[in-house]
Parts: sequence; C-alpha cells; structure tokens
Amino acid sequence: MTERIYLLPLWLRLWHWTNAALIITLGITGISIHFASPSTVLVEFSLAVRIHSIAGTLLVALYAFFVVANAISGNWWQFVPKPPGILARCWVQIQYYCWGVFKGEPEPFPVTKEANFNALQALTYWFIIYMVLPVTVLTGLIFLYPQFAPSRIFGVDGLLPVAVLHYLSAACILLFAVAHIYLGTMGKTVTSLFKTMITGWHEH
Amino acid sequence: MKSFIAVLLRLLVCLWFIGGGAFAHAENSGPTPEALEKARKINEQCFACHAPEALQHPPQAGLDLAKLRQVIVDPDVFKNADHGRLACTKCHNEGYDDFPHAPDAKDSTGTCEDCHSKKVAKIEPEFNRSVHAKHMADKFTCTTCHNPHVMRNAAKQTDAGKLVAQDNRICLGCHDSDQTFAKFAPEKKTRPPIDDIHSWLPNTRLHWQSVRCVECHTPLSSDMLSHEIVNKDKAERKCVTCHSVNTQLNLRLYRYLAKDEHQKYGFVNSVILGKSYVIGATRNPILDSILIGLAALTVLGVAIHGLLRIVAAALRRRK
Repeated sequence: MTERIYLLPLWLRLWHWTNAALIITLGITGISIHFASPSTVLVEFSLAVRIHSIAGTLLVALYAFFVVANAISGNWWQFVPKPPGILARCWVQIQYYCWGVFKGEPEPFPVTKEANFNALQALTYWFIIYMVLPVTVLTGLIFLYPQFAPSRIFGVDGLLPVAVLHYLSAACILLFAVAHIYLGTMGKTVTSLFKTMITGWHEH
Repeated sequence: MKSFIAVLLRLLVCLWFIGGGAFAHAENSGPTPEALEKARKINEQCFACHAPEALQHPPQAGLDLAKLRQVIVDPDVFKNADHGRLACTKCHNEGYDDFPHAPDAKDSTGTCEDCHSKKVAKIEPEFNRSVHAKHMADKFTCTTCHNPHVMRNAAKQTDAGKLVAQDNRICLGCHDSDQTFAKFAPEKKTRPPIDDIHSWLPNTRLHWQSVRCVECHTPLSSDMLSHEIVNKDKAERKCVTCHSVNTQLNLRLYRYLAKDEHQKYGFVNSVILGKSYVIGATRNPILDSILIGLAALTVLGVAIHGLLRIVAAALRRRK
C-alpha cells in the first residue's frame, strides 16, 4: 500500500519552480551571450542580454528570499550533512546509483519527514546552494553594475576574474541541473518525485 | 638587343633598391637632434605668450588677454601630440614674426593638406559621404574635430583607453553639449539627448569609456579608420560584430595593438583584456572546451544510466 507524507510546504515548492524557471532561462541566455557568434544564434545577443539581466535580478531577489525563508522555517537543517559517517552514507548512495538501482534494490536511505535528503543529496545541495550559487549571484550583480568591478587585476581588466568565476559557477549549476532533473526520475515511479515537488506529498 | 634589355633591367632593379633604401631611411629617421633643438627654441618663444601661464603672468604689458585666451596651447600636451616635435612656424609661418601678429596671419596658416595630401585625398570622399557633410560641409574642416596641437594618431597610441578618451571627447564635445552642437547644427535642429538615443545599448556610458563612437558610426575600412561618419540609420547595431570571437574591434580600436596579441592567460583577443573584458570576444578556448566536454559527459552519462535502468527493469520483469 502506498504511504504518503506531506513533505514540502508551499513556499518551498514555489521557490523551487521559480528558481528552476530562472536557472533554465539564465542558462539558455547565458550560453547565447558567452558563445555569441554571428552565425550560430540560440537567442539574439541584445535580447539575450535583456532577458539575462531581468532574470538575473529576479534570481538575486529569489535567492535572498530563499536564504531568509530557509533560516526562519528551519528548513536549512535539511541541507546540513550530518555526521557521523557522512562519507560512508554517501558511498552507499553512490553504490546504489551505480549498481543497486539496476538490480531493483530499494533506496538505501528512504525519505522521512525529518530527513528529506540522503547524505549525498544534502552535501550536493548544500554545496550548490550555499557555496556555488552565491558566487554566481554576486558575480552576476557585479556584471549588472560593472562600474563596481575592480578596475585592473594582474595587468588585465578587473572584470575578467568576475567573468571567469561567473562562468565557472554557472556551468557548475547547469551541470548539476542536468543530473538533478535526471535523478528526479528515480522515485517510486519515473514521475513521482516531480509530483512531490508539485503537490508537496511524497509517496513511498 | 637582348643584352641591352638585360642591362637596362639590372639598372632599374638597382635604382629601385637604391631609391627604396633611401626612402625607407627617410621614413625611419625623424628630425635630427639639431632640427629638434631648433624647433624647441622657436616654440619656446611662442609659448612665452601662448602657454596658460602667460594669462597669469603676461610677458608684456597691454596684451589683450581675452583674445589671447582663445589661442592658448598647453606646451605639455603639445609636446606629446603628433605635431609636438615640429616648430610652431611650420604651420604658422607668415605674418607671425611681428607682435602683435598680422591681423590676416591666420589666413596664411598652413593646411593639413600641405603635409598630408595623400591622406586628405583618401579622407575627402569619405567625409563627403558622411552625415557631417550633408548639412554642414561649409562649417567643417579637419581641425573642427582634430585639434593639431593635441591629437595623437591611433597608430601611435599604445593605450586603448587614452585613444577612446581622445576620440570620444571629439564626438561628445558637440553631441553632449547643446551650446557647441548649436554652433554647427542646421537652424532649428536641436540636439537629441545622447543618452536617450543610445538607451538600447546596455551600460551606455561604460561602452563609451571602452570603445569609440566611431566603432559603430563608421563603415569598416580596409586600412585606416573611415571618415564617413554615419547616423543612427546606418550605424552598427549588431552586438555580435564586437561581441564574438572574430570581433571587429581587432580591425578598429585594436587595429594597431592587435599585433601584440599573445593569448595572455590562454584568452583569445587578450590584447583587448588590457582595457576591457568583452563578453563573447575575450574567451578562453581551453576552458570552453573543458566545460563543453563536461556537459557532454554529463548528458551522455545520464542518458546511458537511464537506458541501462530501462533495460535492467525490462530484464527483471521478464525474469
């Protein structure tokens, strides 16, 4: 019999889907801007810049909202990888993804109300949301107001390190997004985790 | 007959080499130290009255300071200008011996064409097609834009920022000032607010600190920058003209600096990086390749994983 638990409050789901829409928009326009060329056009440059600037500004606001809401609601605790045996639990999870899942083994660390994430998820989400995303957001803000970038660093324009950090951190987020969307198909059914993210109810 | 032609040909080749060598020598060698010293001494006399200090401490009584203010030249700026090694009298040659100078002395001042006839011949048809020639041809001369006491040729500039500042000061001097604009513009033509007409350009003022107005407002020319200044209808509006790997900035602002391109830190168009980071143009191909490779591996990885899951599930069901 299917067991259901209410896992995700409305604010968290709204944040997640808004965040997802913005990241996809920023990814497509960001790629169009970085790899700009007269011949291959994903989104026309000036349009891509306009959309990227608006979506980027919204992401800054959304990130600020998330950090505050996550702190107030106590949801931040979910993102903290908890000892002991973090690495051992991560290894079990990796083994499951690499082998167990093909044999039809059950999830080694099923979702509970107290622990939404397995150790590997917590570690990855913590790293992406609290380490990588702030870099993208901050460097993106400097890109929006380049007059605040350092004028010169190591004999080149000060915007270069800002740009490289923005590019690397954004690429990191996009790579994560690909894996994240795929791992979303590894619930009870292919679509069940997506449904959880929409309704808030998780099915075991 | 054949041997005569052979001798003639040899002679011509020799003459060509001798002539070429002499020409190359004449081009490479600037004024001699004696000539420079002579020019410096002449200019010293001129700057006794025409330097800014003369306004504070007039060298002789009874000078019309209001009139003098209009013909002041900063000696330090002039020294660094392209004409800085020339004697003032090279251009201001007739009617300048007496003090005060002859009232019509200005009329006999040398023109740009006197020395730069080849350049003028190239520039003139370009200028005649420009927006400035359409309504204001009679008000425009070379010196309307190019102050010969100040200008530094782009080919001699090693700092793109200084070149941008110098050239944009010329354009904005009129197009960002109602007073100066009115001096040249046809009657009833009011100056369009410069920020408003460029509002489509992100970070407008920052663009003007990094590139020249003429990057967009002139057609691309094969050698030097074209003098056909075009208005908004013909101006470049495609961002990727500059914001791409094959950036036109290398044929415009960085035409003379591009030869120093050394792919600093692995970036292409790194010569631009000294002044600006230009999205789309200043790229690191190694970094791009690594990230594209990682993205491809990730997509391939999840695709294979997904496929194996489907196959494994099918096999389990069959069992």
